[in-house]
Amino acid sequence: MTADRNRNPRRLAEALQAIPGVRTVTERNGALWVDAPLLQVEAMAAAMADLGIRLGTVTAIPHAGDAESTVIYHYIDEHRVINVKTCTRNGALASLAPTVRAASWAEREIRDLFAVEFPGHPNPVPLIRPDGIDTATLRAAMCRPAEVARKPVSPLASPSANNPARS
Amino acid sequence: MPYSFPLGPYHPALEEPFKVKVQCRGEVIDSATVEVGFSFRGIELLAQKRNWVEVITLIERVCGICSNTHAMTFCMAAETIAGIEVPKRAAHIRTIIAELERLHSHLLWAGVGAEDIGFHSLFMEVFTLRELVMDTLEAISGNRVNYGMNCIGGVHRDIPDPKRHLPALDTLSKGLAEIVIPTFTENPTALTRTRGVGRLTREQAVEWAVVGPVARASGLDIDVRKDQPYLSYADLGFESVVRPEGDVLARVVVRALEMVESIRLIREALLSLPAGPLRATQGVPEIPSGEATIRTEAPRGEAFYYVASEGGATPARVKIRTPSFVNIPAIEAMVVGQPLADLSIIQASVDPCISCTDR
Repeated sequence: MTADRNRNPRRLAEALQAIPGVRTVTERNGALWVDAPLLQVEAMAAAMADLGIRLGTVTAIPHAGDAESTVIYHYIDEHRVINVKTCTRNGALASLAPTVRAASWAEREIRDLFAVEFPGHPNPVPLIRPDGIDTATLRAAMCRPAEVARKPVSPLASPSANNPARS
Repeated sequence: MPYSFPLGPYHPALEEPFKVKVQCRGEVIDSATVEVGFSFRGIELLAQKRNWVEVITLIERVCGICSNTHAMTFCMAAETIAGIEVPKRAAHIRTIIAELERLHSHLLWAGVGAEDIGFHSLFMEVFTLRELVMDTLEAISGNRVNYGMNCIGGVHRDIPDPKRHLPALDTLSKGLAEIVIPTFTENPTALTRTRGVGRLTREQAVEWAVVGPVARASGLDIDVRKDQPYLSYADLGFESVVRPEGDVLARVVVRALEMVESIRLIREALLSLPAGPLRATQGVPEIPSGEATIRTEAPRGEAFYYVASEGGATPARVKIRTPSFVNIPAIEAMVVGQPLADLSIIQASVDPCISCTDR
């Protein structure tokens, strides 16, 4: 599954650097990190397919100040993880699902939770969001600063819904 | 005349809620659509509202079967960010628990699989063996599930008398060799329900990006323990189990032979347990700013974690991709052209975990 050329880290880094939109390729914490704010995601998918590297999953990190999100494509060549980090533009990124089947559920989940749109997705129906619930289920809650919630109440609960028994 | 019906979310084959919407022509399945999300818990968000120690407890509840995998993988990510190297003894103990968990998971699956093909006596035999594994896990950790063994920097509990657990492994080896493996691979009832059923070709396995026993049963020799060794796997040596057939029987055989390899790994680890501390740090270590991605081989396949820290008391982001999240969609490819009666065992052969998938 993995092409032998991927065993050579220098050649792999060169191939990653050639993807349109890639700014830097660095190695840290045992993985390759590709910084590409203006990444052309379809070109990345084509390059990874050519290298025989599979898509593991996609992470979205919503930004607090606007409707944008950091999106990290986690590729796996079986011997290392390659993390390609980009950013949404107007809250959207082109869908990889038409050519990369593994992207389908990941993109649908991200759309449900963070309202990131993936134009071109062949089946953009909710994955984990029930009918009648808007997208961005977790966006606002996840944008709040990460801090320890001292009381064991759900961060989704509204202040008015506090349970007196817990106070 | 074509017809369709929903199988689930209340399920005849599994105790967890997921739905397979099936299109049939007579008794043959034309297509299927899998739906999940009925038990979404928002654990990734909750992980941003707990401190690093509390998150271990939270993350261990992602799954009731591969609970140790999740707690361990999260700890490994935090250790990577903080540059903490786990002591050798702790790595060995983590390996032992991880492989016991694999035995627990595979035996649970074998029992459920036996039940799904109506082989109740085999179910009883398998679950009798599984109790040995549960007893061993309880003897080591104090718990039958959610073992609470992991902390950032090592493990909470020692294995003070490793040889005490060897007789259970001997009994387990005997039971697998004399009952479970021959019954699944030679009994006509079991073979009729599994051979040539629910095939996923190697090309389809690549296309759907499946992992773990499902991938290895379709000829893909991928296993994190071999490809990117962690814990003590490089020291103990590891042989992956691969079959080319891609059917339900191949998935059964892969899991069965993996149990034999797991027993060997546990035995080797118990007999070669190095002396030394259980933790690299005292107290709760500070996790500096940084991010890490970690893969481990859970019983159902590759578990993937992305963890980011901003140097605070709580993680800034925890992303969890479980093996079931990528294996379950491939059911749609496995069932096409198959008899409706085989749907139950085909979907069970993936060993789907909805708790993991929904998180």
